[in-house]
Amino acid sequence: MIELGIEEKTYTLNLGPQHPSTHGVLRVLLEMDGEYITKAEPVIGYGHRGHEHMAENRNYHQFLPNMGRVDYLHALAYNQGYCMAVEKLIGVTVPERGEYIRVILSELNRLTSHLLWFGAYLLDLGAFTPIMYCFDDREHILDLLDRITGSRLTYCFYRFGGVPQDLDDEFITGVRAFIKRLRSRWPDYDNLVTKNVIFINRTKDVGVISKDQCVKYGLTGPTLRGSGIPYDIRKSEPYSAYPAFDFTIPIGDQGDIFDRYIVRLQEMEQSLRIIEQALDKLPNGPIMAEKVPKRLKPAEGEVYQAVETARGEFGCYIVSQGGIKPYRIKLRVPSFGNLSILPEIAVDTLVADLVAILGSVDVVIPEIDR
Amino acid sequence: MELLAQYLGTEVGRMLIGLVGVIALVSVNALFLIWVERKVSAHMQVRLGPMEVGPHGAIQSVADALKLMGKELITPEEVDKPIFWLAPIVVFLPVLLSFLVIPFSQSLIIKDMNVGIILILGFSTLAVLAILMAGWSSNNKYSVLGAIRSVAQNVAYEIPLLITVMSIILMVGSFKLSDIVAAQSGYWYILVQPLAFLLFITCATAETNRAPFDLPEAESELVAGFHTEYSGMRFAVFFLAEYTNMFIAAAVGTVLFLGGWHGPILPGVVWFLLKVYALIFLMMWFRWTFPRVRFDQLITFAWKILIPLAFANLLITALVMKLR
Amino acid sequence: MLKDNITKALAPLGLEQVADGDYAKTGYHLEVAARPEQMPAVAQAMLDQGCFLESLTAVDLRESFTLVYHFANFSELCRTVVHASLPKEAQAPTISRVYPAADWYEREVYDLFGIKFAGHPDLKRILLPDDADFHPLLKDFGAEAAND
Repeated sequence: MIELGIEEKTYTLNLGPQHPSTHGVLRVLLEMDGEYITKAEPVIGYGHRGHEHMAENRNYHQFLPNMGRVDYLHALAYNQGYCMAVEKLIGVTVPERGEYIRVILSELNRLTSHLLWFGAYLLDLGAFTPIMYCFDDREHILDLLDRITGSRLTYCFYRFGGVPQDLDDEFITGVRAFIKRLRSRWPDYDNLVTKNVIFINRTKDVGVISKDQCVKYGLTGPTLRGSGIPYDIRKSEPYSAYPAFDFTIPIGDQGDIFDRYIVRLQEMEQSLRIIEQALDKLPNGPIMAEKVPKRLKPAEGEVYQAVETARGEFGCYIVSQGGIKPYRIKLRVPSFGNLSILPEIAVDTLVADLVAILGSVDVVIPEIDR
Repeated sequence: MELLAQYLGTEVGRMLIGLVGVIALVSVNALFLIWVERKVSAHMQVRLGPMEVGPHGAIQSVADALKLMGKELITPEEVDKPIFWLAPIVVFLPVLLSFLVIPFSQSLIIKDMNVGIILILGFSTLAVLAILMAGWSSNNKYSVLGAIRSVAQNVAYEIPLLITVMSIILMVGSFKLSDIVAAQSGYWYILVQPLAFLLFITCATAETNRAPFDLPEAESELVAGFHTEYSGMRFAVFFLAEYTNMFIAAAVGTVLFLGGWHGPILPGVVWFLLKVYALIFLMMWFRWTFPRVRFDQLITFAWKILIPLAFANLLITALVMKLR
Repeated sequence: MLKDNITKALAPLGLEQVADGDYAKTGYHLEVAARPEQMPAVAQAMLDQGCFLESLTAVDLRESFTLVYHFANFSELCRTVVHASLPKEAQAPTISRVYPAADWYEREVYDLFGIKFAGHPDLKRILLPDDADFHPLLKDFGAEAAND
């Protein structure tokens, strides 16, 4: 027997922090054996801005803009979570019309987040066209939201007790026209992507997450629902005006990338349903609660408020010790838990698969780093 | 003067004129194709593309070329310098030499060799060597990965390409490109060999590293693959080679399947160029529609699907030829 | 009822308090107080009930820390919060062997508060640079400390 004396070693490859498909500043340290990954370790913290520390040095109103910067893609849901948590602390109820407006705007924002995910994910897979179509649709929503909130991306619109500005007729007709337009686009997306053999081959049976892993890693959002667990806070722990609407929670069955993709596509359709119903049933009335103090001094206590964002469960945990500044705010972000499963499901996959899996988990790094 | 005319009439003279013509064609073709690619991709993506520089961005490519020429040629420290510098040359020369045997029209062919098609196929394989050189010498893990992928991909897709071409050669009985074109004066071979055409287009797209087979330069995974470390004019040469490769592949496809320069009314050259650019448009259409295949699926596709199909096609062709 | 099942499962562990929470005011269905040493057992009990770890964080109460664990359940709504009081300079046992999700959460608590978790597979900083020598969420750090 001839001994070749060649050592078989794995080599280290660094994916990021500057990389076209890590959706933010994420570094994944890979140990590779040829093209196969033996170990993947995400390294985060490149975008740590100290939001939780800022919370302790600002009063409750001053912390509102921060929420839009935590997850800029679904900022209104974070706005909503924080406002609801504080409203619980100070014991204020939002009037019905205010809640409906919050739901409509948050669902429109969910659509922009999913549309952007859709386009960017396909860009990662190498299809250069869908992102253009998605951004085209997204522009319509951004224009509509801009009319009401004044921002296109990092919203800071909700206030404690309601919303500061009402919807106008042009907005409502615009939204209805947009719903019709987006519904007519679903066949386009299906033909271009969902039925594409190359896409299906790259996403079926890849990145499978089992139900057991979901519980152990505390996954939430479409990442969880793709594995077949129908947990959506809008249905499981209803808040705001969601109990008044009729919508379903799409779930997958296998937990692979394709299931997560279908879940998000169907969620977009469900969001359209919610918006339609909200517009139909929009009640008249005040949009802001009365008697919300200008300087908030909530009583001592703590509160945990969960809302369903495009990525999963956002939990706002506030500890108040009676002062005008919060004593502690913990932002429980969905991407933090969702990303922690990557080392387990990335083993024995190819680099191409890693990019696909990472995209399908839909992480937004700024919310992980806060 | 007489001496000059006499000299130009000789073999060498003809080749010199041909070479100059080819270099001119390659440059103009590249500039044109870059502009076409940007416009085609733009319109498929519901946007406009270059509009500023010249009417409808017509001289955008010239501006880009000038910009690239002005860039600094950065050579990273740890690269293997001789190979690093040679790689762009090696990637470009074979493509240029392939033009020797392409029949642009009945008379416009620089050197009508007996082994025309073999020459082109042989030279196209040299491109793989250049990519390997580029990837290895860059001293960059991403580049090496890109180079490895490219070698595996090119080798895998060469085989069905060669077998498919053999089916056509069987029908013609000669490797000369002008003979292949002449044999299609009655009907184009795409009508009798549709499967071979599909196989050829697939393999040609893979050989030229175009999407959906563009793994060697997969932007979203490997930053820029094997040419990550190349900048300025060196990068431009790789780019130029890719578009020229597309032209050669489309030209071979035109000669083998679309009847070369045959066509009514218009001169042969015009028909040839029309057909070539139609095939190139098809390849561009692929790029902007499909996502990328994964590497192992790519190789599986070549070895388990394309090669058996190509063999089947060859056998059927041989059978039909024998029975005639 | 999941709340009753959890209460029953936590009963044998001898915890300081297992009480109903005021959901409308705080968002909790169950409020539990435990000692840090009991946490792995509590976590195992929660996992056996099918609950997932929603969040793991700490609060700096100047003289001591409070570790706050939130558990929820996919099938039935029941949010359980577990408060564990931890003296300063003390170590808490890790629950990452029960819930792998806790791996990153505990690293974050270590990073921001300096609390060490005994038995953690790889306790290193997660958000701040590896060579940072401060823990930003401590109450005697930063602007608040300067203002006090």
